[in-house]
Amino acid sequence: MMFGISTRVWLLLAAGAAVLIALPLVVTSSFAIDICIRILMFSFIGVAWNLMGGYAKQLSLGHAAYFGLGAYTSTIMQINYGISPWIGMVAGGVVAMLASLPIGWLCFRLRGPYFTIATIATAQALMLIFLKFRDFAWGAEGTTIPNLGNAPLMMQFEEKAGYYYVALGLLALGLAITYQMEKSWMGYYLVAIGEDEDAAEAIGVNAPRIKRDIYLISSFLTALAGTFYTQYIYFIDPATAFSFNISIEAALVSIVGGIGTLWGPVIGTILLETTSALLQSWLGSSLGGVQLTVYSLILMAVILWRPTGLMGIMTEWYQRLFRRRSVQT
Amino acid sequence: MLETVVQAVINGLLIGGIYALVSIGVTLIFGVVKIVNFAQGEFVMIGMYISFYLATQFGMDPIVSLVITMPVLFAAGVLIQHFLIRRVLGPNDMPQIFLTFALSLLLLNLALMLFTANYRTVHTFYSDEAFHIGELNIPVAKLIAFVVAMFLSGALWVFLHTTDLGKAMRAASQNRDVAMLMGINPNRVFCVALGIALALAGAAGSLLMPFYSAYPFVGQVFVLMAFVAVVLGTLGNVIGALVASLMMGVAESLGIQFVGADSGLIVVFAMLLLTLAFKPTGLGGGRAR
Repeated sequence: MMFGISTRVWLLLAAGAAVLIALPLVVTSSFAIDICIRILMFSFIGVAWNLMGGYAKQLSLGHAAYFGLGAYTSTIMQINYGISPWIGMVAGGVVAMLASLPIGWLCFRLRGPYFTIATIATAQALMLIFLKFRDFAWGAEGTTIPNLGNAPLMMQFEEKAGYYYVALGLLALGLAITYQMEKSWMGYYLVAIGEDEDAAEAIGVNAPRIKRDIYLISSFLTALAGTFYTQYIYFIDPATAFSFNISIEAALVSIVGGIGTLWGPVIGTILLETTSALLQSWLGSSLGGVQLTVYSLILMAVILWRPTGLMGIMTEWYQRLFRRRSVQT
Repeated sequence: MLETVVQAVINGLLIGGIYALVSIGVTLIFGVVKIVNFAQGEFVMIGMYISFYLATQFGMDPIVSLVITMPVLFAAGVLIQHFLIRRVLGPNDMPQIFLTFALSLLLLNLALMLFTANYRTVHTFYSDEAFHIGELNIPVAKLIAFVVAMFLSGALWVFLHTTDLGKAMRAASQNRDVAMLMGINPNRVFCVALGIALALAGAAGSLLMPFYSAYPFVGQVFVLMAFVAVVLGTLGNVIGALVASLMMGVAESLGIQFVGADSGLIVVFAMLLLTLAFKPTGLGGGRAR
């Protein structure tokens, strides 16, 4: 027993980690590795969203704000001052945390759907501001990141496997934080707020403080993904860094996978990103809108028939299997 | 200088009438059904495409095509309430938010697939006409749109205050549980609310067509305005939404005139953030009526 996890689960986790670490050694196709990297990164963003959106049910559709702030902080530091993106990544996280305080102060004045709308508006407003910053952040044209060849200290790798391991590390960090949070008093407070905020406050949960704290953590993590993605695609502009699609995907993977569960965002991302990759290889990029059409149909199906998401379905299957076995013995 | 200001205010008021049709729909649904319809803008888009095809295929004037877009979208609203929204009405926010959000994504991307991202315009004989009063310009197409929008808003007010069904809707919006105890059939009231809201969005689409281009993302502009206007005018308050929409139109127009052509949206966001910071219950002071 370590951290309250049984030996069997530790062995399972170790085996899973070994497979994931060995994967880039086996899979050499750059297309396949790219899909794996996207899955890891969007799982991580989903995990960051899920901390606040899943457990405390503060359904944000504005996480692109923090993704973009992380991306811009590290890029500005790297290009203007030559500071490594590894440092820039943490700095970006801190900038995102600082930004989440006033944004949260405004948005948390509203509840439910209007909280969601306020988060959309703040993310869009940030994008507009960065479009205006011509001398400071390259305006609408954006900029490319100078290619330094193989420079792990500057978060640049010749092999895609390098990026794969960075994304894997980020996801592991996100899952570890979620796991710790789930077991702590904070996790229970968050679930209580998510179930019924007024009732939680009535029994003494300081809801505004808890919501502020989880927003800080969630925005910090989302910003790390922003830095990573910019380094991975070697390009930044307001439309990609503050893309509404990032906010959508963060929420979608968690809801489809299972909102408010540890592994939900990961499972949701695997389903959605695989679907998207398959669609792309079947149809090519000729038909705009296909990917999001399919995503929205999946989302509707989940909401109408399985609000607990894929995790709910899997738990049900597991229980059915388990019950049948126990009947037989 | 004064003329520039007056001209900007006139332009803002005229487009504000269209914003009002969209916001009244959003606030009506919020007041009666207690959900936010994220897809409201997409129904404006659908109204525009219906008018566009009626105009190009059958030569029907976009304003006249109101008689088709409004009933079609009313029916769509009833069906959406009956088959989709009814299934997610519960204490939980998540399904309600993400069902209409998914609907918005679906309609937007279907439009992108079916109609491509091209801009479509309809040119009518009054599209370029304008009344001139001294230095001031009043475009005929926008004036017609404004007048019809105000007429429709007024008709809705009369409906809500004089008919039994309208009173039932106001009762349901004030206190749903008590309204049900009084024998009001909630699903029927909700269906009518969705139908009226979508019909107003469709009307907005038809009215826009003589002077505005249709494209798949067009609804996003209007729904954003509507959300801000609905917060500003107090959630669920029809008259508040109307007044706030006109204010938003004027604010946006003044922003474009004096700050720069691309700053209309910045003004809108600034208004939303200021409202949230200083008057989160809206100008009406928190009462839905």
